[in-house]
Amino acid sequence: MANEVVDHGRRRFLTAATSVVGGVGIVAAAVPFIKSWEPSARAKAAGAPVTQSLKKIEPGQQLIVAWRSLPVFIVNRTPEQLATLPKQDPRLVDPKSDGTSAEQQPKYAQNETRSIKPEWLVMIGICTHLGCVPDFVPAIKPEPFDPNWQGGYYCPCHHSRYDMAGRVYQGVPAPKNMEIPPYHFIDDTTVQIGVGPEGAA
Amino acid sequence: MKRILPAVALTLGLLFGAQPAARAEGENLMPANVNVQDQASLQRGAHLFFNYCVGCHSLKYVRYSRMADDLGLTEQQVMQNLNFTGAKFDDPVVAHMPAEDAAKWFGKAPPDLSLETSAKGADWVYTYLNTFYLDPKSPIGWNNTTLQNAAMPFPLWELQGQQTAVMKPGTSEVEKLELAHPGKLTPAQYQQASRDLVNFLEYVSEPAALQRHHYGVWVLLFLALFSLLAYFLKKEYWRDVH
Amino acid sequence: MAKVFASIGEWVNERAPGLMPVYRKHMTEYYAPKNFNLWYYFGSLALLVLVNQIVTGIFLTMNYNPSAAGAFDSVQYIMRDVEWGWLIRYMHTTGASLFFVVVFLHMFRGIMYGSFKKPRELVWLLGMLIFLVLMAEAFMGYVLPWGNMSFWGAKVIVSLFGTIPVIGGHLVEWIMGDFLPADATLNRFFALHVIALPIVLLLLVVLHLAALHEVGSNNPDGVDVKHGPKGNRWSPSAPVDGIPFHPYYTVKDLVGVGVFLLVAAFIIFFAPTFGGWFLEHDNSIPANNLLTPAQIKPVWYFTAFYAIVRMIPSAFGTAVWGVLGMFGSIALLFALPWIDAGPVKSIRYRGTGYKVALTVFVIAFLCLMTIGMDLTAEYFPKIFGAGIDITLWENVFGRFMTLTYFGFFVFLWLYTHLGWEKTKPVPERVTMHD
Repeated sequence: MANEVVDHGRRRFLTAATSVVGGVGIVAAAVPFIKSWEPSARAKAAGAPVTQSLKKIEPGQQLIVAWRSLPVFIVNRTPEQLATLPKQDPRLVDPKSDGTSAEQQPKYAQNETRSIKPEWLVMIGICTHLGCVPDFVPAIKPEPFDPNWQGGYYCPCHHSRYDMAGRVYQGVPAPKNMEIPPYHFIDDTTVQIGVGPEGAA
Repeated sequence: MKRILPAVALTLGLLFGAQPAARAEGENLMPANVNVQDQASLQRGAHLFFNYCVGCHSLKYVRYSRMADDLGLTEQQVMQNLNFTGAKFDDPVVAHMPAEDAAKWFGKAPPDLSLETSAKGADWVYTYLNTFYLDPKSPIGWNNTTLQNAAMPFPLWELQGQQTAVMKPGTSEVEKLELAHPGKLTPAQYQQASRDLVNFLEYVSEPAALQRHHYGVWVLLFLALFSLLAYFLKKEYWRDVH
Repeated sequence: MAKVFASIGEWVNERAPGLMPVYRKHMTEYYAPKNFNLWYYFGSLALLVLVNQIVTGIFLTMNYNPSAAGAFDSVQYIMRDVEWGWLIRYMHTTGASLFFVVVFLHMFRGIMYGSFKKPRELVWLLGMLIFLVLMAEAFMGYVLPWGNMSFWGAKVIVSLFGTIPVIGGHLVEWIMGDFLPADATLNRFFALHVIALPIVLLLLVVLHLAALHEVGSNNPDGVDVKHGPKGNRWSPSAPVDGIPFHPYYTVKDLVGVGVFLLVAAFIIFFAPTFGGWFLEHDNSIPANNLLTPAQIKPVWYFTAFYAIVRMIPSAFGTAVWGVLGMFGSIALLFALPWIDAGPVKSIRYRGTGYKVALTVFVIAFLCLMTIGMDLTAEYFPKIFGAGIDITLWENVFGRFMTLTYFGFFVFLWLYTHLGWEKTKPVPERVTMHD
């Protein structure tokens, strides 16, 4: 037991090197397990673009289609409903959708009507507060929750209110305007949800 | 312990030696020699499959989109040249013919081929595709030496041509097959074509094989490095132990 | 950094002062004999595989569908549609086979060095229970993919219970919850495979280790270091031939882990079916109650025990004897501490009779495996000419090997109880062969 000189430097170096390499290995091995939670090919296939004909949606009506399992509201807005939109601006959180709601729609829908064609609203019907599906209350008439109701959406969960372009009113829990998905018109009466117009980012 | 090692080695040798035979069950199979890394072969095989097979056989676990990715094809190429059923790009490959109709016509529904080479082995499928012959006694006009009385007519006959069987004298046993009418391809070309087709089916039975080979080398190199470091670490610590 | 760790350690220690002594007892102050050889890697490797099976198993259940209609499709879904699902599944399937490789070698080491002998009988019994639960766990896991081998494997193995007189027929239906393996069978096997048996397994592993650490590890010399001279460089009261488990055996086991992972990774990435031995070809065909696969045989790790069932003929109108033989072959392993009364533990100092007997036993076990794998039926004609009667010779060979397997235990009892064994002197202290 005479040659018992422990080389602490070498020992510490080898311990550190093995720990680091082993740690890298464990992290690398964790990656596949974490990635396995990503939407699978089946989920992605089910989330493929959805094509919807607009022929049967009368003015003032709303149709709900599923895209990536999300409810997408397609509304054929009447001229009266469109006319109410500019008048709401003072009561809204982000009327131009360029403040807190700047990311809530693609650039080609960042306008007063939040749409490609003014009359057609295509929107993910999920309240930006806690994810409920708001009710469609299109009639312009006094409502218990708003004597000056101009038509729009009312969330039954926590009473958030939105106008006919999905813009959120001030003084409600929801912070942002409802989200507009990427979509484009294949022809005058067919819309495809999930893909933006050609050339648009 | 030293006496046991040879026994273990012998058993392992038996296992590996037995492997192809266990799959072949004593038949004389021709080696398919497939290689799923050969993308050009996979593309040719896919073309054959979608021109000659998909009428009856589905690949219900394979999506067109995944196949395009793995075979280096664009969405447009797949949708125009391979997809004749109007399925969506993300849909799985489904045969043109409804399964119930097929069951009526052939007696049983043509099997899905997603896992065919996993179940039977690439060599078996390759041999099967090379051993069809004209058989007037069969209700469908065809028979096969690899799978006697197969219910399947031979869709590739225009490529291979028509083989007939030479019987062993005085028996109904097939001695060998002869090419009676040549097809569009020479025998060598047909062998290559059927090899491509089997290669495609081999890919289809386990698309992950491409990823396995890709990552496997790096994983082994990494583990070798780790083992080496651990070995030095052990040696260093064990200086204390006398 | 080191300071932060130290203060966290202090914080924990103030609140749970009992933890540190436990850690010391099982790691830094667990003195293991310093002469462990290659055979001593397999215990820690078994633990590693167990962890792998649990982690990958949890992730498989996230996408697996335990129903007769959906199980097979969901496995292909994991293999193709789930990101990295193929790797997680191959880690689980390869792990299952390697679990048995490791456990067989671990058990053989115990027999070879007499680790089952007094005072470690309890360690051995707990280990045998682990082996039994592991077999149940593996069998039920094998059924879950619901391929054709899964289905017929379930049918045949469950039918083993049908040979029990009087209650057998009803017992089979009770186990399956139907008249053939079906949805009910799959659902209960799933529940047992992912929840019930893993809990039992973990508990047994903890007890196995706790029992071991009470009495201390055996070693290739079979010398009890705990009762030898005291005093080493770490402690004056510790065995002179003991070294702290941590860091010496932790770093040594790390080398074993590295090499083992190399082998495992090679299989996972380059030969996941292992030529049809780890994942069988016929299991690529969905379960079909009208089509029995051409060859019904269990996965490789069950083949030796299964061969015993096949080799024992029915008699007096019942097939129960084969099943009794199979369970008996495992029960005898349980009883090993009482069958083998030899005073010397390690094979190094035991009589020649024991060495020969153990070698013959291993050969018999391997031969039974080849019979269970149907390799004998395949190779006999190749070796002895095509004209031989395969069934006859397979039976002759197999029954001889079955008798040899049981003969080992009979011989061992006589050999040690009647004092036939001539042992060599056991050294006072362990020996090092470096």
